Amino acid sequence: MMSLAGGASHGQVGRDLILRARQIAPGALRQPLAKRLTGPAVVTIVVAVVAYCVADLEVLQQLYFGGLDRLERVLSAMFPPNPGINPLGLLQALSVTFAMAIVGTLLGALGALPLGLLSARTVMKNAAIHFVVRRVMDLFRGIPSLVWALILVAAFGLGPFAGVIALALADIPRLGKLFGEALENVDDRPAEALRAAGAGWLQTLRLAVFPQVAPVWLSQCLYFLEQNFRSSAVLGIVGAGGIGFELEERIRIYAFDEVIFIVILFVVSVGVLDWVSERLRARLV
Amino acid sequence: MRSTNESGEASSAAGALPAFEARRRQILRRQRLELLIWTLVGSAVLYASFSLSGIFSTALDSETLDRIAGFIDRMIPDLSASELFASRQTPGSLEAWFYDWRKWTGALFETVQIAIVGTAFGGAIAFCLAGISASNLVRFAPLRFFFRRFFDTCRTVPDLILAMILASAFGLGPLAGVLTIIISTTGSLGKLFSEAIESVDMRPAEAIRAAGGGILAQARFGVVPQVLPNIASYWLLRLELNLSVAAALGIVGAGGIGIELQRAISFTEFDTYLAILLMIVGMIFVIDLASQFIRSRLMGRVSDLPEIGGIAAARPRTGGAPA
Repeated sequence: MMSLAGGASHGQVGRDLILRARQIAPGALRQPLAKRLTGPAVVTIVVAVVAYCVADLEVLQQLYFGGLDRLERVLSAMFPPNPGINPLGLLQALSVTFAMAIVGTLLGALGALPLGLLSARTVMKNAAIHFVVRRVMDLFRGIPSLVWALILVAAFGLGPFAGVIALALADIPRLGKLFGEALENVDDRPAEALRAAGAGWLQTLRLAVFPQVAPVWLSQCLYFLEQNFRSSAVLGIVGAGGIGFELEERIRIYAFDEVIFIVILFVVSVGVLDWVSERLRARLV
Repeated sequence: MRSTNESGEASSAAGALPAFEARRRQILRRQRLELLIWTLVGSAVLYASFSLSGIFSTALDSETLDRIAGFIDRMIPDLSASELFASRQTPGSLEAWFYDWRKWTGALFETVQIAIVGTAFGGAIAFCLAGISASNLVRFAPLRFFFRRFFDTCRTVPDLILAMILASAFGLGPLAGVLTIIISTTGSLGKLFSEAIESVDMRPAEAIRAAGGGILAQARFGVVPQVLPNIASYWLLRLELNLSVAAALGIVGAGGIGIELQRAISFTEFDTYLAILLMIVGMIFVIDLASQFIRSRLMGRVSDLPEIGGIAAARPRTGGAPA
């Protein structure tokens, strides 16, 4: 496919050129063996690991023995979508889910603010403090909001309040890290100018750093609001209220035509929220 | 606010200053009005949200605080320093706390496997579809539009809801988890990949076409070398994220460690819950470190990911919730 164009003589000249170039600079046209083998080796290892996992999980067997026709039955039960007997109740549940996302994001942002300040090298000069704060946030960042919700529902009882706290707890380390990074990325020159004019730590923060990071932080919060709307729908499954609760009920009784209606409703409202939030974020940054 | 002052051009030089002042006052007034409106709308939304999410109706009295305190007390295991390394039968030892750690390690391993298989297949599907839906490779717009919407839909349906539906179809077990992660990964990586492919320099591919290369040769030698570092990096980041997703999926019965979490809660063994949680956190931490190491080794050439699709793309790991 990549042969040189032209007749036989032309090809001969090209080959001579390549031969001569090889003699002059052998390394330029031929990479060392180890380097050439890296790509295939990485691919082989990845394929082997994946193949081992597929075999060990026995997913193919599960798929083959009766999985597919059951999926077909579920899919055919989904159509046509059916709003059920109480469509207004669904809208109300959806608004509870949205409310949980808003309050959860707000509380998460409030909690993340001090952590972000402490974890930014530019604000917190003490290396030990920002190292510790960062590691602690790293540790907690992996815990999904659902895992928090599971235990908070056990503590606070069923209802959206547990979901709100779960969202906030999951957001604090994630937003804290983003807040800290935004703080580290600010232009240092306004702060220097203020310090030179004799401003204190708090004044520098308020007048030089904060105006730069505030729009970034706000846009990150909006992005988290979008994400939290998706997660809070899920929290209902473990009893934290909202649309997930309605969904869970219907999946449990195999009412898949109502399930698909709720899913479509949710997908559409997520699309609307994303669109609004994207426009707001574009105005901010 | 942003419109230019057109009336100012007409006025003479002598009248410019008052006109400027008037215009400034007008702008300030509008800014204040906008701020007022935003504050009103914001506080109305906040008030509605607070009341809907039950903050007002949840009485945070001493009884609630007692309950939380008792709850935390039940979560923290009774360890005694003298018998920390004693056998499982001794109350107060570490092994009595992590009493089923062999089973939990197996379940954790299953979670890791689910994440790997889901991310691998999801990434492969996303890569193929992204090539088709990138505007610089395929000029046929309806196809692109279709795949874009397809990615959006895959991304939007929350993982757990998908997992519940799939688990009710396939029964409890890892298959539902794997399929869930394949679908959500296809959605999120498909968008990122097609944006990465759209941002490549098309000149190498053009050169290959000029030398007589077909469409496959153009893709293989002109496009793939440019996007490979980015794509591998996104893929690894997504693997990290999918690990925590897979850990949660088990809660609805889709295999892995989540089943054990659910079991601990339903038997109200809150100290066991904490033990399993610690194991999950440790696993994610270790894999994060390993993945960071691999990324810096493999992708040392690309210092930073390009800013694609805002914060979501630049830092998928910290995006947190299933994107």
